[in-house]
Amino acid sequence: MGGIYIKNKWLPYLLILPTILMICIFKIYPIIDSVIQGFSSADSNFTLDNYKLLFADKTFWNSLKVTLKFNIIIIPIQIIVSFIMALFVNVKIRGIEVFRTVFYLPFCISLTISTVIWQMMLNVNNGVINSMLGVLGLKPIGFLIDKKWALLSIILISSWRGCAYWMMFILAGLKGIDSAVYESAKIDGSGFFNTMFRITIPLLKNTWLFVLVANTTANFLLFAPMQIATDGGPQGSTNVLMYEAYKSAFKYSNRPRQACLVTILLIIVMLICFVQNRFMTDKEAHR
Amino acid sequence: MKLKKIMALTLVTAMTAGMSLTGCGGSDGKDSGSDGGTSSDSGDSVTIKWISQGTGEDGWEGITKPILEAYEEETGVHINAEFYTFNDLFEVIETKSAAGDADFDVMSVDVTYVSKYGSSGYLEPLDQYFSDEEKAEWDDASYQAGVWEDTMYAAPENTSTQELYYNKTLLDKAGISVPENDADNRLTYEEVAELAKQGLKKLDPDGSQGYIGFDFQQVSRVYQMNMLANSMGGKNISDDGYSLDGVVNTKPWIDAMTWYQKLVDDGIASRGYDADQLGDQFSAGKVLFMIGGTWTPSNMTCDDEVGYTYAPCFEGHEDEVATSTGSWYFGINSKSNNKDAAADFIKYFTLGKGNDMWLEINGDVPSRIDKQDEIANNPDASEDMKIAAYEAANTAVPRAVTPVFGEYSTALDQAWEDVRNGADVEESLNNAVEQFDAATAAYK
Repeated sequence: MGGIYIKNKWLPYLLILPTILMICIFKIYPIIDSVIQGFSSADSNFTLDNYKLLFADKTFWNSLKVTLKFNIIIIPIQIIVSFIMALFVNVKIRGIEVFRTVFYLPFCISLTISTVIWQMMLNVNNGVINSMLGVLGLKPIGFLIDKKWALLSIILISSWRGCAYWMMFILAGLKGIDSAVYESAKIDGSGFFNTMFRITIPLLKNTWLFVLVANTTANFLLFAPMQIATDGGPQGSTNVLMYEAYKSAFKYSNRPRQACLVTILLIIVMLICFVQNRFMTDKEAHR
Repeated sequence: MKLKKIMALTLVTAMTAGMSLTGCGGSDGKDSGSDGGTSSDSGDSVTIKWISQGTGEDGWEGITKPILEAYEEETGVHINAEFYTFNDLFEVIETKSAAGDADFDVMSVDVTYVSKYGSSGYLEPLDQYFSDEEKAEWDDASYQAGVWEDTMYAAPENTSTQELYYNKTLLDKAGISVPENDADNRLTYEEVAELAKQGLKKLDPDGSQGYIGFDFQQVSRVYQMNMLANSMGGKNISDDGYSLDGVVNTKPWIDAMTWYQKLVDDGIASRGYDADQLGDQFSAGKVLFMIGGTWTPSNMTCDDEVGYTYAPCFEGHEDEVATSTGSWYFGINSKSNNKDAAADFIKYFTLGKGNDMWLEINGDVPSRIDKQDEIANNPDASEDMKIAAYEAANTAVPRAVTPVFGEYSTALDQAWEDVRNGADVEESLNNAVEQFDAATAAYK
């Protein structure tokens, strides 16, 4: 047995080598390059000027504010709605698979196409939503051109698709809970809400950790709906940091500014994920 | 067990080797013809790739087909044209050029980006491909707009101007006639707004028909909208090209934007349609009056009759009439492997038979002096083009010349759109000043 172990010692590392190489080339190297670029001048010397200019720019602070506001609203909404959807499709009745499919369908449409469709539906002139409001005798709403509504509309567009995705992970977690636990709870007289908050939710801790971290990362980096539907407006109300980084790179050709923005985003996401991990990690399981 | 180990090791080696080869492929920019969409030169047949804007059969994608076919028939060179939306083209050029991509040869360059692309090394200097006689075939303004720091980087396919177009069929239905006017006695913006208001009252009193009274073809874009401020005496940018302070936060700009905001608030101009959609609304017979380019009549998709006249002026500013100008240019990708063939194609499209066909199909104002003279001297030339030629020569105000036009257009496009959607005018302009000045701080 010991002899076989010695012979195969390097095999696991060899097997994961391609993945490690890909991570290094396509993830680690671009991150390091971006960080370096943020601290580099045009003649490749170390400088803090890029960050000084960025912090003196009101557009940056507005983008940071919009990004935090967007995520504070969208993350809880998506997690709660996804959880409710997962509870619905976890019910054991005939034909539930149909509902699972229907609920998952939004995620099968690409984000770009779904944004364009929603943009048409929310159009102030002839969108179907405003048409329905007109039938009810209400005034049309500028969902994408009124700064009171634009960010909420983007949240709606993103969540319509995103909740379908996160629902599947939570559903997988629910399926992993032994039904004997629920039976015991029922015998002990536990009601629906008691079971939910004292059994189901705590037993999904690892699922919550994954969904929370992945959801946070995805939403902090999201900018396609803002680019397509509102172009960061109206009045900068949907101009998130990632879109500002995108414009810096591809519209302004200002790579140092883009590098600074993505580095700041990276730090924010890492901090938030670290905090989430600290609070959510199942300490008992690691003992 | 041994066999499994060998297979596992073989698989790992193959994956690692495959990844390395994939990572190296194309990075030196010399991939040619590998996917059928790149420039190539194999034996006697040459294919060059042209990236441009204007998707769809009604856009450049459709209308340039005869020109490309004619060029291939004459020269044997196949043009592989790739079209993007207006906004996407800038990002595509930036992504490909910044990466040193050689998979395209010719690019359509918006005139405002010639200085930026030239100074960034994206464009090949064209002086070696065009003789002084050829350069002199264009009017000086058009030629100079393709020059940056004494180097010619791009060749003009045409210039542009703006006229007042109106849907004669709808106006006749509303019983409205456009008053007589000419270059020295123009309609005012205020008069046109009033005519549009009357028209809407007759045709669409409850707003349920979706008619628009008076609007701008390239709404919320500096190309189109800045002419309102220019028509009140406003400039586009500071003399050094790096500031908006003291330029846009001035009375002409405030007055122009306030007038435009009122036009929208009164329900005469629209909200919610972008520049890609507004032209389509006019083409479909849904707009009474529109400030638009000379390609407007040829783009009609309904049978309504189109009328046209000189661009309006503001009351009290009759001697400050301003129209937008400038258009698309052709440039050669500095990393192209087919520069000679690319230059030949550009000559065909900007000076040769291709340009004749282009002007015929698209209805744009020519940059070529011989074509301008043809319009002016030909009694059979359309009145539309005569007006256009007059405006291009007499009232054209070039857009801001600055190497940071991306930041400029972002700040001001947003300001126009915000004002359109009800934001405070002075606040929007001050925000644009702050935003642009912060963006250009790195360049000062």
